[in-house]
Parts: sequence; structure tokens; C-alpha cells
Amino acid sequence: MSLLEFRNLTYSYNSRQKKPSLDNVSIKVEEGRRTAIIGANGAGKSTTFYSFNGIFKPNAGEVLYRDRPLVYTKEALRELRNDICVVVQNPDEQIFSSTVESDVAFGPMNMDLPREEVDRRITNSLEMVGMSEYRMRPSTQLSYGQRKRVSLAGALAVRPKVLILDEPTAGLDPQMSREVMELVDELCCSGTTVIISTHDVDLIYSWAEDIIVLNHGDLIYSGEPEGFFSDAAKTASAGVARPHTFSVNSYVSKIRGKEEAPYPRTSSQFVAKMAPEGTVGGKIRLIPVQDKAEAVQTSGHVGVYGYAAKKALKEADISADYLFDALEMCMQDAVKGLDSVLYCDATMYDMAKERIEALAKFGVKAEVVQ
Amino acid sequence: MVNWSPLGKLILVIAILIVNITVDSLLVTFVTLGIGLALMAYSTNFKIPFLIFLAILEAFVILIFGAGVISVNGTDSTQVIWDTDFLWMHFHMTVESFNKAWLILFRGTAGIAVMLAFATSTPIPHMSLAMKQVHMPPELIEIVVLIYRYAFLLLERMEAMWNAASSRMGFNGARTYINTVAAIAIGIFIQSTNLSDKSQIALDCRNYRGYFPVFSEPAKMSIKWVVVIVALAVGVYYFGRYTEGWIDMAHILLGV
Repeated sequence: MSLLEFRNLTYSYNSRQKKPSLDNVSIKVEEGRRTAIIGANGAGKSTTFYSFNGIFKPNAGEVLYRDRPLVYTKEALRELRNDICVVVQNPDEQIFSSTVESDVAFGPMNMDLPREEVDRRITNSLEMVGMSEYRMRPSTQLSYGQRKRVSLAGALAVRPKVLILDEPTAGLDPQMSREVMELVDELCCSGTTVIISTHDVDLIYSWAEDIIVLNHGDLIYSGEPEGFFSDAAKTASAGVARPHTFSVNSYVSKIRGKEEAPYPRTSSQFVAKMAPEGTVGGKIRLIPVQDKAEAVQTSGHVGVYGYAAKKALKEADISADYLFDALEMCMQDAVKGLDSVLYCDATMYDMAKERIEALAKFGVKAEVVQ
Repeated sequence: MVNWSPLGKLILVIAILIVNITVDSLLVTFVTLGIGLALMAYSTNFKIPFLIFLAILEAFVILIFGAGVISVNGTDSTQVIWDTDFLWMHFHMTVESFNKAWLILFRGTAGIAVMLAFATSTPIPHMSLAMKQVHMPPELIEIVVLIYRYAFLLLERMEAMWNAASSRMGFNGARTYINTVAAIAIGIFIQSTNLSDKSQIALDCRNYRGYFPVFSEPAKMSIKWVVVIVALAVGVYYFGRYTEGWIDMAHILLGV
């Protein structure tokens, strides 16, 4: 059963349009799969998003949510938008209220939730995006990055089942970008299906399980990223660049006369693939954190992954070397043969373990210890 | 002032504005201006954003122009200070029209100050709550709130365009300045539809239902507010009636 589906969907903004913004498009988004929508400007990405949550009603074809066609009545749309939340690219279009608190409360209050629950959700979602201390600040006094995080908190407070993010890292500095993606990982682990639209192919390649490629309203590709990026002509005609890791792996494999597969998606996977045979990986001590964290003795680097782990470490006054992108950094250490400790949210433990163990596929076995 | 009862503030502002226009005393306009400036100082510490300052300035220029027109539209049945013919029109500035023009100029300025004090200290949801409490139709509240919000969005957009124009030497010389301001005004007008569309979509994505729920309930209007508003309105009204005609601008400025 697919979570969201377009069946031969066509949508035009007005009748004068020569070509529809989405032209007979059929796509499926599976529940729990990390899905990215990519394409050049004007490809139809935003139209796709707004068709998913019923803002745009198709001219032809249909949209299905959990195998049921969307019903465009006020009540049905309200229920749908409680489940499917879109975070628009420009936070200024989304932030409406004068203070951070009232803006984050906007969604939950529209759901008629009790005040205590709204309060809990505001606290929780601001904590998740690291904006707790800005709760009572006027929204006009925030920087662009902070406004972006507030707009994300506003969506998180709704606790959607599907979160659609339009260019979530655009305009953010590298640290903040990685923090946002860490948060996205966390949401995926807790059962939210996340769909991202971006021009950042490097980011998407390291994150997405499935990609949907659009070009001038046509569906070009839908499936695993490698299937699209390995076709250079198709990639170029869609106006999309190939991810750096993919290109480098392709060139180096050709030079060395080796198979391109398995395809590394991150730096650690790439380095593991390029490492001499028989390289022994380091150990990563993976510590799941629920509420409290305890300091451990280590000579290696210490990383922290996930907001609950970060909060617990802060409360326990434990310092960490890797405060963002910690999983990847610890994996890079492991490829270099170094040991490290990674405090990780309990909900993200399995995913982190799986990713570390996946390094073995690229030639370096990093041991996970508890 | 943000924590004051929005309904109290709204009724206070309306009461002051009504008294301001019902009494023909220049002193009342000064009192109103004083109240407005004091409230603005309290709420913003006079740290008014540049664009808001420009908007006030624009309103003031319009008021001056309007007052100018009123001042030369007196009837020649009373004492004429100055008159002229322009094309087929005859303009008479009389003592009465001259004084009326000053009264309207001060009234308008005082009104702007009072309304700005309210606007700068009342978040949108609080304002909509206050309007809801006085049983205004929900459609009207929604329109007011959206206009209020979009005005600020457009002002923010205008600020960005203004800065971009200044970085491209768009304000070098009077002629360029006028051209640039006109281009910005046209740009803002064209963008306003697009901006409202995008904002509406963003609101719909967040399950907007035509009103803005308030999470942190502001202070309620107490009996103290009623006493203060009634006392202030009655006091200023009688003060105005008593001081009508005390200040004669024609005599002060022109000696007639």
C-alpha cells in the first residue's frame, strides 16, 4: 500500500498555460521511505507538494492518500492537513504571528487541542529545533536561519504523519543544514514519512532512498537514486547535476578498472571503498540515550546524535567533539581505524547501527559495541 | 503595553479618536498627540523601524497637502486673508479656513500617533481577539487581520528592494531618487498579488480556518479600563468644549 499516490495527474494554474505544471504524472510515495523530489526551477515540485495536501485540485487524474482518493471538502481537507504538513521554502511566508511561541502554537491551536497539550508541543518542537530560549522573542527579531527553524517547529508541533519540506537547507549554514537533516533522520526513525524537495543533489544522494525527478511538469524518473544518476544524458536533460560522491566514485572506479557498485553515498562509505584491502576499522561505542547520559572513558572522539541525546549530555555536563553530523564523523574515524563513542537517541539506535554496519559492504568493517 | 488588555487598548484608542474629531479645539489635538506619543514611547521606546517612519512621513505629507487644500477653500463671505485665481478656479484663504486647516492637520497627526501606538503594541492575534470581543463580523476581522499582516509583509519586501536599490546607487540625485521610489512602488504593487497568494497557501498548509487562535491569552479588560476610558474621554471632551477657539492660528502666524 502506498502512502501518497498521483494517478495520471494533470494540473494547470490557468487555462492559458501552454503546458500544464504537472502533465499526466503518476507517482507513488511509500510509507516510511525517505523520498526526495528533485528537478530544475519550474519542474513542478511545489505543485506536487500542494497537490499532495489538497491545496491544488487536479484538472485531471487523482491524488490518493492511503489508497483513498482525496475529498476536497472543508472537513476532509482539514483532516488531511493534520496528517500532511508542508513547510514552505521561505519562512517569511509561513511565519504569521508576532512571537515564536504564538507562531508554533498556530497549527496545534487550529486542531482545537487542549492548551496544556499545545504548550507541551511548543516546548517539545522548539527543543527539537534548538530554539527553546527564543520562545518569547518577536519573530521579526530572528535571523533567517532561526526563522527557518521556527517554521519547522511550527510543522513539528502539528505532529504530522507526512512532513513535506521544500528546500529545508536553503540559506542555512553547513552546521545548521546538518542539524536539520539530523532532525529529519530522527523524524524518519520515529515513524514520520519525510519528503524533501531540494536542488542540493549531494544532500539528497546521501539521504534519500527514493527520488522522484520532474522536468517541465513531466515525470522523468522515480526509484532509487543510482538508477537516475548513472544515466548522464538523462541527468543533464533534467537540469540536475550529478552528486559529487557519485561522480568521483564513477571516475575512480573507471580509472581503477573496478565496478562502480556498490555505490557509496557518503564520504565515509567512499573512503571505505577506496581503502586498501584488509583495512581494519575502528570500533564505535554506540550508547542509546533515553533521558539520562553517563560519561564514559575514551581516548577517541565523542559524538552526539539526536536532540534527546544532546539534551541529556548537556544536562549531564558531558562534552562532545562532534555536535553535528556525528554519525558520519564517527564512521569516518572508524574507517581511519580510530575508536569513538557515539551517544545516540534511543529511537535512532537501530538506524545508526545499520549505517555503521553497512560500511562492511564497502570493504571496511567497523565494529559496533555497546 | 503589549501585555495590556487589547480590548481595553482598542476602546481607549477609539474613544480618544472620537473625542479628537468631535471637538473643535486645537488643544485637544495636542492632548491627543501627547497621549499617542506617550503611549508610543512606552511601547516602542521610539525605536520605530525606518519603513514605518517613512509611512508616517508619507501620511504627514498627505495631511499637509490636504490641509493646504482646505486652507484655500474658504468662502469669500468671511474675512479673506489671501486669494488667487488658477485657471477657472478661485481660491480664498479665510481666517476660518486657515484655522480649520491647522485643526485638521493636528487632528490627523494626533490620530496617526494614537493609532500607531495601538498598532505597534498589539500583536495580530490580540487585535483579532479584541475585535471578536466587540462582536465584529468574523469576515471583517479576517479582512482587517490579513490586510494588517500583508501590509507588514509588503513593507518588509519594500525594505529589501530599498536596500537593493541603494546598493545600486538608485538614490543618487533627485531625479534618480524619484525614479527609484516610483519603480519600487510599482514593483511592490505587482508583487502584492503574488505575495498574498503565497501567504494564503502557507496559511492553508497550516489548517487556517479564517481566524487566528490566541495561545497566550492577553489580559482581560477590567473595570479599571472602563473607568479610565470614560474619565479620559469625558475629561478631554469637556476640556475641548471649554478651550474651543483659544488658539487662533491665523492670529498667531499671520497677525489677522
